[in-house]
Amino acid sequence: MIDTFLSILRISLKAIMANKMRAALTSLGIVIGVAAVITMLAVGSGTQQSMNDRFSRFGTNTLYLRQPWDLDESISSPKDITMDDVRAVRKVNGVVAAAPYISSSFKVKYGITSTSIDVLATDTDIFNIYDWQLENGRTFTERDVETYAQVAVLGATVAETIFNDVDPLGKTVIFNEIPFTVIGVMKKSGQGGFGFDMDEGTLIPYTTGKVKMDTGWNNSDRRALDRVIIRVEDINDIENTKEAISNAVRNTHKIHPLGKDDFQLDDMASWIEEAKAASKTMSILLGVIGAVSLLVGGIGVMNIMLVSVTERTREIGIRMAIGATSADIRLQFLAEAVTLSCIGGLIGVLIGVGISLFIEAHSTNIPAHLSIISIFISFGFSAATGIFFGFYPAYKASKLTPIDALRYE
Amino acid sequence: MSLIETTDLYKTYAIGDVQVHALQGVSISIERGEFVAVMGPSGSGKSTFMNILGCLDKPTSGKYILDGIDVTSTELSKLAGVRNRKIGFVFQGFNLISRTTALENVELPMVYNHTSAKERKEKAMEALKAVGLEQRAYHMPNQLSGGQQQRVAIARSLVCDAPIIFADEPTGNLDTKMSIEVMDLFTRLNKEMGKTIILITHEPDIAEYAGRLITFRDGKKISDEVKK
Repeated sequence: MIDTFLSILRISLKAIMANKMRAALTSLGIVIGVAAVITMLAVGSGTQQSMNDRFSRFGTNTLYLRQPWDLDESISSPKDITMDDVRAVRKVNGVVAAAPYISSSFKVKYGITSTSIDVLATDTDIFNIYDWQLENGRTFTERDVETYAQVAVLGATVAETIFNDVDPLGKTVIFNEIPFTVIGVMKKSGQGGFGFDMDEGTLIPYTTGKVKMDTGWNNSDRRALDRVIIRVEDINDIENTKEAISNAVRNTHKIHPLGKDDFQLDDMASWIEEAKAASKTMSILLGVIGAVSLLVGGIGVMNIMLVSVTERTREIGIRMAIGATSADIRLQFLAEAVTLSCIGGLIGVLIGVGISLFIEAHSTNIPAHLSIISIFISFGFSAATGIFFGFYPAYKASKLTPIDALRYE
Repeated sequence: MSLIETTDLYKTYAIGDVQVHALQGVSISIERGEFVAVMGPSGSGKSTFMNILGCLDKPTSGKYILDGIDVTSTELSKLAGVRNRKIGFVFQGFNLISRTTALENVELPMVYNHTSAKERKEKAMEALKAVGLEQRAYHMPNQLSGGQQQRVAIARSLVCDAPIIFADEPTGNLDTKMSIEVMDLFTRLNKEMGKTIILITHEPDIAEYAGRLITFRDGKKISDEVKK
């Protein structure tokens, strides 16, 4: 039995080898399909992974309190987000930390070096929210905040750019003509992406920022903050905590129980849901593209197999006359179709893996992540394509009667 | 019991609206070890008769018993095994599989009856030796002369130890010298191996090799004579 199967397989291989050019062109459709599927799966899973990375670095247990960008017109006098809100939020059960957040881009000078950096004016609670590590010196203290100290904590990249080899601690840098003393340098965190990029930024006390910086900020405690960053204790209880925060802010803003919120509270979890939905849509789209290319490849295989059956009608007749059953003939042509598409699948896998690895290694803006499963899946699909599209031609061959097949010219 | 026994075979085709009565009641019995030539003009029904005897086609009515098997009541799909075990075919156009060595061509019937690869090779070599072509085992059909190709086909018909060889105009594509070679081979197979040989031809001098001559005309057997 095994010997018979192997012999029939060899017959199929021989038929393919007899028409190398034709086989190559036929499998090309499958090659392109499989390579496309692998590459797209790799890019898809890479995108998802890098998205997850960004989210997890940013922390899913953080909330943003801010004024809505598209404020409801029915709200007549919306209140700004102020330190009153920060203080109210800090008292809410389940809140670990809440920090004011005002960011702006400043020109910074040290000696003859001049560059533009992002400055975040905040208070000490920011260090309870983000997992930033100090490299050198110290962070600012409550006292620095209370005394409007002109101190700055630099991000790793900023320190490198401005000071090069010089030790920045104790040096004076000029932000918009105002001198600040460098009291600390942060470790490189390598995050970037969402939120504030510490590596590229600088922290100053928010009080100092308001008083000293010429940005329209002033010394009133009640002036607007960009937003409040909040860290909650338990991600699973985030809905209750959100509601409590919301009530606290409504209270501070003195909103009537029936009035609408004049603020917005965003949590990362809902952003993640949105991002997941988007990436799922993308996966479906990629799947459809892959399926279409395999379909086209499969039709190519079916087409050439029908030609092959017609060309070899007489051969089929001879085989039947000397004792081949319908099943033997069917197996022979099915094996030929599957071999054709598996050769295509194999080459497609090689090309797809090559492209994916190339993207993984050389491209910074398109992430790619090659998974073994995607290789097996796409190769499996190519074999399935061969079986599916090879079946009809093989069936057609097996249904010939020996006498008609032998007479075929 | 006769090896081949047909009773009142009829075969009717429809070509368009026209009914063609290819066979009209043919009853023949052939014994084991006979060498039979079948002659007749084209359209006489001899080819239809041979296709039915070779289990390649089925009669419209009548009965055909081959070596104890009732072929007429066997499904066409089950006849592959009967052809494999009982019948060897030799065709006018040789009908070897191209791009396949002589040895592999001879092995082919055994592929379909699940003989092991080793045994296949041994038996195929033996059959090639019987037709005097063991030196050409690894040649492709297009590297062989017509006579040699026909001998490969004969080796293929021997390899499953089938009792019957059907030869349909086996010398039709061969010159006189090669024809004589092939016909001598058939005679030897009949005499030495006891093969029953049924030969279709329209050449009287080829029919001369047979011990019995059956003639067809208009779908009927018109003569059946055994030579002394």
